[in-house]
This record gives sequence, C-alpha cells and structure tokens, in this order.
Amino acid sequence: MRRRDFLKLAAATSGAAVFGGVLAPRTAQAASKPQMLNLLYATAEADSEAVKLVLPDFASKFGIKLNLETYPYAALQQKVFAELAASSPHYDIMIIDTPWMPALTRKLEPLTSYLKDPKYNDVTDPNLTDFIPAAFYDSAVYQTAKSFMHFPGSPTEVDAAQIAKQGFEIFGLPIQSNVLTLAYRKDLFDNPQEQQAFQSRYGKQLKVPETWDDFVPMAEFFTRPDKRLYGTTLMPGTGDWATDDFKTLLACWGGDGHLVSDDFRFSFDSPAGIEALTFYADLIQKRKVTPPGVTSFSWDDVSATFNSGLTAMAMNYHDMKLNPDVKGEVAYAMVPKKVSYGPHFGTWILSINKFAKNKEWAYRAITWLTSSDTQVKMLQKQLHPTRVSVYRQAVSDPALQKDFANFYEVLGKSLGVGVGRARLSNYSDVSKAIAVAVNNAATGSQTPQAALDAAASQIKGMIKQAGYPIANG
Amino acid sequence: MADVSRVPLNIAGRLVVWVSMIGALIPLLFMVLTSIKPSGDAQTIPPKWVFRPTLEHYAAVFGGETSSSQAFLPLLVHSALVAAASTALSILVGVPAAYALARVRFTGRKFLSTWILSTIMFPPIVAAIPVFVLAGQLQLIDTYPILIIPYTAFNLPMVVWLLRSVIAQIPADIEEAARVDGCSRIGVIARMTLPLAVPGIVAAAVLSMILCWNEFLFALTLTRADVKTAPVGVNEFTGMFGTQWGNLTAASTAIVAPILVMTFLLRRRLISGLTMGAVK
Amino acid sequence: MAKAAITRPTPTAEWAPSPQEAKKSIRSDMALGWSLVAPALVILLLMTIAPALYLLQASFFNFTLLNPDLKRFVGLDNYVQVFTDPTIRNGFFVTLLFVAVSVTIELLLGLGLACALAPRSLGNNLASTVLLLPFAVTPVVSALIWRELLNPNYGWVDYYLQRAGLIHRPIEWLSSAPTAWVAMVSLDVWQWTPFVALILMAGLQGLPQESKEAAAVDGATVWQTFWHVTLPQLRPFIAIAVLLRVVEAFKTFGTVQILTGGGPGRSTELINLTLYRVGLQDFQIGAAAAVGIVFLILLSFIVSQLLQVLGRNTELLH
Repeated sequence: MRRRDFLKLAAATSGAAVFGGVLAPRTAQAASKPQMLNLLYATAEADSEAVKLVLPDFASKFGIKLNLETYPYAALQQKVFAELAASSPHYDIMIIDTPWMPALTRKLEPLTSYLKDPKYNDVTDPNLTDFIPAAFYDSAVYQTAKSFMHFPGSPTEVDAAQIAKQGFEIFGLPIQSNVLTLAYRKDLFDNPQEQQAFQSRYGKQLKVPETWDDFVPMAEFFTRPDKRLYGTTLMPGTGDWATDDFKTLLACWGGDGHLVSDDFRFSFDSPAGIEALTFYADLIQKRKVTPPGVTSFSWDDVSATFNSGLTAMAMNYHDMKLNPDVKGEVAYAMVPKKVSYGPHFGTWILSINKFAKNKEWAYRAITWLTSSDTQVKMLQKQLHPTRVSVYRQAVSDPALQKDFANFYEVLGKSLGVGVGRARLSNYSDVSKAIAVAVNNAATGSQTPQAALDAAASQIKGMIKQAGYPIANG
Repeated sequence: MADVSRVPLNIAGRLVVWVSMIGALIPLLFMVLTSIKPSGDAQTIPPKWVFRPTLEHYAAVFGGETSSSQAFLPLLVHSALVAAASTALSILVGVPAAYALARVRFTGRKFLSTWILSTIMFPPIVAAIPVFVLAGQLQLIDTYPILIIPYTAFNLPMVVWLLRSVIAQIPADIEEAARVDGCSRIGVIARMTLPLAVPGIVAAAVLSMILCWNEFLFALTLTRADVKTAPVGVNEFTGMFGTQWGNLTAASTAIVAPILVMTFLLRRRLISGLTMGAVK
Repeated sequence: MAKAAITRPTPTAEWAPSPQEAKKSIRSDMALGWSLVAPALVILLLMTIAPALYLLQASFFNFTLLNPDLKRFVGLDNYVQVFTDPTIRNGFFVTLLFVAVSVTIELLLGLGLACALAPRSLGNNLASTVLLLPFAVTPVVSALIWRELLNPNYGWVDYYLQRAGLIHRPIEWLSSAPTAWVAMVSLDVWQWTPFVALILMAGLQGLPQESKEAAAVDGATVWQTFWHVTLPQLRPFIAIAVLLRVVEAFKTFGTVQILTGGGPGRSTELINLTLYRVGLQDFQIGAAAAVGIVFLILLSFIVSQLLQVLGRNTELLH
C-alpha cells in the first residue's frame, strides 16, 4: 500500500489501541481484586487491638491483605487531613472521628450508591437498621455542601431512603462508639458501714446517683482528704475534654448540648449554660469534692486517678481497671441527669477515601468490619459496638459481665441518649475557646458568666471567619 | 583582710553549688529510679525508695511490647540516622563556608557572615508550616530528607559560627609557609588547616548531634511511622488510657543516655567552641 | 612574593594579595568565596527566606489546607486579626514575658554559679560536669518528668515540701497561672542555666589575673573588684550567653506544649503554641502565616536591638 495510507492505518490502529487501553484497565479493574487494602486507623482510642484480632479472618474471607496502620490521635488527625488535602490515593479506608467530618465531606466517598447496589453487598449485608440510630446519624450522615447541618429530627431507626430524600449522604459506617459514662466503686457504695453512715448523715439511701442533685451529697460523703479519697474526678483541663464535660452538663440542664446550633445560635451562654457551669465550678471550688490538681486534668488523669483508688466516682469514655493494689470493684451507671440526660458522645466511622483506587473492595471491607458477626468477635478486645444486636449479645455474655460488670449495658443505654457536637469546620478552635472558659471558671479566675460571655464573643468572630452566617441575637 | 570578707561569699558560693547540683540531679534521679520500679511502685505516696528493681520496662520498651503504636527501638534508630546524616551534611557544607568566611576575602563576606548567623533566630514553627504544606504536596512526609534538610538548616548557623572562629584562630602563617613551598590552595587547606581545625569540627559535630537528637517540633509534624524519632515516640506513652510511667521513663533514659555520655566526654570542647566567638 | 603578605601572627588572619595578583585574585577570590559558601547558603535560604516568602503571600489569603479551592484574597484581614485578636496578643505577651524572665534568672544564677565554680579544682570540675547534665536531657523528656514531679497527688515536690513543713496542702502547680508560670520558667532555668554558667565560667577562667590583683592592692573590696573589673571583662561572654539564650528561648515549643499545653486558660500559651494550633492542627494556613510574619518581624527587631546593646566593645559577629 502507499506510504500515506500505511501511516493512516498505523495512526488509526495505535489510536484504537490507546483508546482500548484506556478503557480496558477500567473494566478489568472493576473485576480484579487488589492484593492489599490500606487501612488508616487509630490506636487504643478506637480499639485497634480489636481490628488486629480479625485481620486473619478478613484475609481468609476475601483473599486480600488488610494493611493496618495505627497512629495516636493527634498524629492520626494530621495524617488524615494531610492525605486528603493532597488527594493521595494511598489509603483506601480511613477511620474518621466525628469532629473531623464537616471539613472532609468533599474528600470522602459517599456510600449511598454502594448501599443500593446488590453487586457490592454480595459478601455482607450492611443491615443499616441494626446500627444505633443516634450514633449513626451523628457520625455518618452529612450534607456534602452544607456540612454544618444535622439530619433533622431524632429518627428511631436508620433509614437510608429518608436520608437520601432529605438530601443527605452516608459517609461511612460506625465502628467504635464512645460516650461519657459514670464509673463508681461498687465496693464503697455497697459497703454496709458506708450505707449506714450515709443514711444517718443525709437521711437517704446510698446508691449510685441518678440525678445531679443526688450526686452532690454522695460526692461530699466520699470526700475524705486525710484518707486520700475524694468524691469524683472531672476534666476541666484546657482541652476538648473540658468542652465535652461542659456540654454534657449543659444538655442535662436543658440546653442544647451541641453548643452551636445548625442556624449558628449559641446555647452555651444561655441561663442553662451558666447554671451548668456554675454547678461544675462549685463542685471544684465550693464543695471541693475533687482531688487536688483537678483543674488541669484530662482523660489520662481521670484514668490514673480513679484506677489508683483516689476517687469514689469518675466520668470517662471507656471501662476502668483498678490498679492491683486497690482492692475494689468497679460498676457503671449513666451520667446523672438534671432535666434530661445528655452525655457527650462521638463515634469513629470507617470511610472510603474518595481518591482511592479500590473503592468497591474498600466498601466490602468496611461493611464486613462493621458487621454484626465481626463486631461480636471484636468484643473480645473490648470494642465499643455500634450495633443494637451486638449490645444485646454483649449484655447477656457472662464472661464480659465478669470482666466489665455492667459496662456494656450502660454504654448501650447512654449511646441512645447521647449528644454530639456542632458540625463546624473550625470546631477545634471553638472547642478550645469553650475549654478555656470552662477552665477559667473551674479555677475560679473568672465567674462562669464572664467566662462564657468571653467565649461567646470570641466564637462569634471564629464563626464569621469560617464563612458561616452570624445568627441574629 | 580581703580574704576575711571572702568567707561568707565562699560559703554562699558553696551553698549555691550544692543546691544546684542536687537540683540538677533530682529529675534525672526520678527518671532512672522510676524506670526500674515495678509498675505498682511507680506512683505511690509516699514515694518508695526501697523496692525490687526490675528491668521489665526496658524489656517492654525495647521488645516492642508496650501499647504504643510502634516499637521504640526503631525510633531510636531513626533518630540516630537522622542526626548522623544531618550532622555529616552540616559539617560537609559548613566547613567550606566557614573557611570562606574566615580566610577568603570577597565582596559581601561581611554581609553573608552576618546573615548566616542571623538565621539562628528563625523560629522553626514558622518554617514548619510551609514545609508541611509543600511536603504534603510533594509526598515527602515521613521521609528522611524532610527531617535532614531542615535540621541541617537549623544547626548551620551555630556550626558555621563555631567553625569560623576555629579556623580564624589558626595562624595564617602556616598556610602562607606551605603556599610558599609550592602547595596548591586545596592542598594547604586539606593538609594543614583542616587537621588543626579537627577539635573544633568535633565540637560542632557533637553540638549538631545533640540538637538533632533532641528535636521535637519538626519530627512531630513531618513524620508518621517510617521516620518517627524517639522524642515523638516517648511522648506517646501518655494517652487516653493513662500514662505508663515505667515504660515512659525507661524510654526516656534510653533517649537521654547517649547524649549524657557524649556531653560528658566532650564538655570541654563544646564550651570552648561556643565561647571562641567571644574572643577577638 | 610581596613583603606585605608576611605579617606578624594575628589571631584572625587573611591573605593579603600582592599588588601583581591583586586584580586576578580578587575575581577568583570572589568566585572561590561564593562557591564555598554556596551550598550552606542554599540550604539556609531554603529553610528561611523561601518559607518566609511563602508565608508572606499566604498571609493575604483566607486559606485552609482542606478546602484549597475556597481560597480567597482577603488583603490585610489576617494581619488585622493578629493585632486585634486577644488570644494572639496574649501569645506575644506571654512569649516576651517568658523570655525576659527566664533569661534574666538564668543569667543571674549562671553568673553566681560561674563565680563559684571558676577556681580550678577537682571538686569544681566534678560539679560543673554534673551541672552540665540537664543541658543534655531531651526537652520533651524533661517536660514529662517535670509534670510528674509537680503532680499534686503523687509528685515528689509537693510531698517533700509538705514533709518539710513548708506547705500544708499540695500546691496545684498546673491549675493556676502563677504556679504554672513557676513550673514553666523553672523547667527552662533547670535546663539552660548550666549552659549559661559554663560559658561565663570559661570567660572567668580566661581573664587575666593582673587587673584583679591590681584592684586588690588598691584596696578594692571583693564586690568592687567584681563590679568594676571582672564584669566588664566578662562582657563578651555575657553577651554571647544572653544572645544565644534569648534566641533559643523564643523558639521554645516542645517543653511548654507538653508541660502545660498553654494552660491554665491561655496563661502559658506561647506564640509558638498558638502558631502550631492554628497552622498545624486547624490548618488555617493564611491566618497562621500572618502571625508568623509578624513574629518574624518582631524577632528581627528585638535581636537587632539586643545586638546593639550587647555588641558594644565586642565584635560578636566577627
């Protein structure tokens, strides 16, 4: 043939080859299984040991190696944000903590289409209705664009259809839930001498407090500095934990525990907020039922203090283990209420990286990891389950009862009434401002009203800077 | 008569020295003692001074059996590699620069000298933010170079300052004489000046190693697991579930021990190096 | 060879080129000089000027790392924030106060120690070695130890102070601003006084004895000798120690972050902690950039003023 025709044919062939080559891998990829999936995870905060436990099962079920990388909280947060900001495809699955979500909605893959397609649900049935609804809606359901909005109402069941109808998306599946619970020294509360002494002093029965009004005399009763025993711990150190303590009390006093509502109204400087913070500060300053140094306490101090037997009660987000030399017994209860319950909660979810290459398999992985059977197995490493069925099993398991008393029962109940956070992209700034206010009130360097007012004016500026509208009044 | 008035001053001086020595040692004593106390004895009131020493924490830390996300021994290795590489680079790059500033007459020398020394005041946190952004974009997070280059930059002003005075103190006559004898310039530098500068170079290297080894901010920000250094690792023994005091202090002792030894062996060189700059 | 080239031995020596070589050597010296300095220069530029330029341009934008597409030009807004936001102003104030207080204490204490340890003796040698140890301790480690020593429930400090009868209830060190400051400053003093003391000691040991003896013969008291003879001669060493300490103190981050986290409230929040939080935890690059630039300018000003004050009679940089 002639040269020109030959060239044309060559061009056409190579064009077709390229074109076909571009198409081919995609279709081939959809069918081909990856060798490995990368999972970016937390450490003890999200019970990485439980995940490690089921990795062999995953490998045998899927024939894929799940590569687990764990990082402690601060490093994890930076890593998640940095990876997503750089649109890096390295991690297929990432664990996301609730306060990070509002800033990440455009970087994580919405699951709605996967949930509907039977092709991807061949291995595991996601069974959404089994998830604890309050935790699910708080941690996994967002509007992509207006990520500050919460799903309206308090649905009693996870309903994917409704979620889609309201214009929301599901961004992950919950794996570990945390909620504030009250731990107490059962041996002290059940002790007959203590009961008698309490009865004669207060004319009431000594039992685990149900309301904050009950709480005060019991804390005072157990405050014996000369015997190195105090009523309770608190967490007013300058950090997120102080914010979480405060918002719990705010919700108990009837305020909106989210601190800032979806229409950017502040609830923390309301009368309820001031009352709640005054009560909190009084426990420390007036009634002195807390150990020395409490105003710089954070999570680890609470654990250290209660576990060494220094306090009779403690509020924390996980089970407590007394030190070997402390002869006592731990039991759990819901954090007391005033007008209502309002324990702070937050749930870790497993999400799919929007830029990952193996999203379908990542989806299969997360449905399997959060499935009922897998979560039951992970109970062996004290996973905080996110499914109603798993809680039922945990509560009726005698081995777990022996080791953790009624922790799972209380955990499950508390999750049902938990109160989440405001969904602000600059939440950590806002949280810090509130924490500073709480700390100042706790140390007595500011009155609760002054502290909260100062926080309010600061947060107003932060909201504006983040580009949100300022609410009127 | 002047001597009599010295006595109370001498006593005061001795008192200050003793109190300072005790004050200097107590935290270190706490660290080492807690690292060999059994777990239950670590946080007790009153503090236990009599106990059964145990090496279990060292075993746990080096054996990787702590509840940290990573074993500790590799972190020490990372620290050592980064410190060594950065120090080597600092010397490699600092010696010629110091030589030029001390010996070679060229326009802009004075300005360069001032500028290089002034960079010591640049706060690392200010550099950390752009470096973090850029490193993220270039996929350089958690790689060795992302620590080595900044560390070198942080230490160069000190290293150059030290080496410059060292070299300047070496009489030029020696070099002149060698030049007259027909040596090339490079030969002179290599065979005459550098060997005489070795003590100062050693001081600069030790200083650089110490500063790299102890650095925290950049390591915290720019590493994850592959290059995480010991200071970042030791901070992770405190977390949501309480502090493992035995493991923390064992790891701390492991971090601090090499530097203590190095400082002890080379203290004179270090101080003379740092103070040479004061003498004209 | 020109005679001018061979001069009497001087401490700082340079080649003086002969007239014949002058022109050629000047050009080649330029090339040589700059090429020898070039690698160091490149590394330094990379870590100082380059980041500063990046921050300068970033500071005019409202830019968060997570949603770079929402980046928008805001002119001087970030800078206005720096000067009006009370938390940022607080950060600068806390930092300045911290540096001033710490370095002053370290200087005074270091001077005292240096005088006590200057006379050469085995005991003093041993003491100065022991005192150098805190300098070598990794700052992170020292902060963790400090926190536990100051723990009101389990720490040695409160326990032994109570045993000694000096206090009746444990001091809650990290719970109130004044005591948190004592904790913060004492940690810095513990770590860095040896450094200052040893520099001053080297200075003292190098001083000529004649002037002191002359003063004694003239009937001067110990104090007068010290004030009028020793101190002025120590000046270059004091200058170095102060300059190095001030510069390093401004960079403090790890120790305070771990010891207090900026608390209680924001009373110990150094500007470095603020920068870290805004830039590397909240990823508000634009806002952090403005704070960083202002900090840089402030530092340059302070250090240059310091150099002027300290640099009289000493050629610190040459």
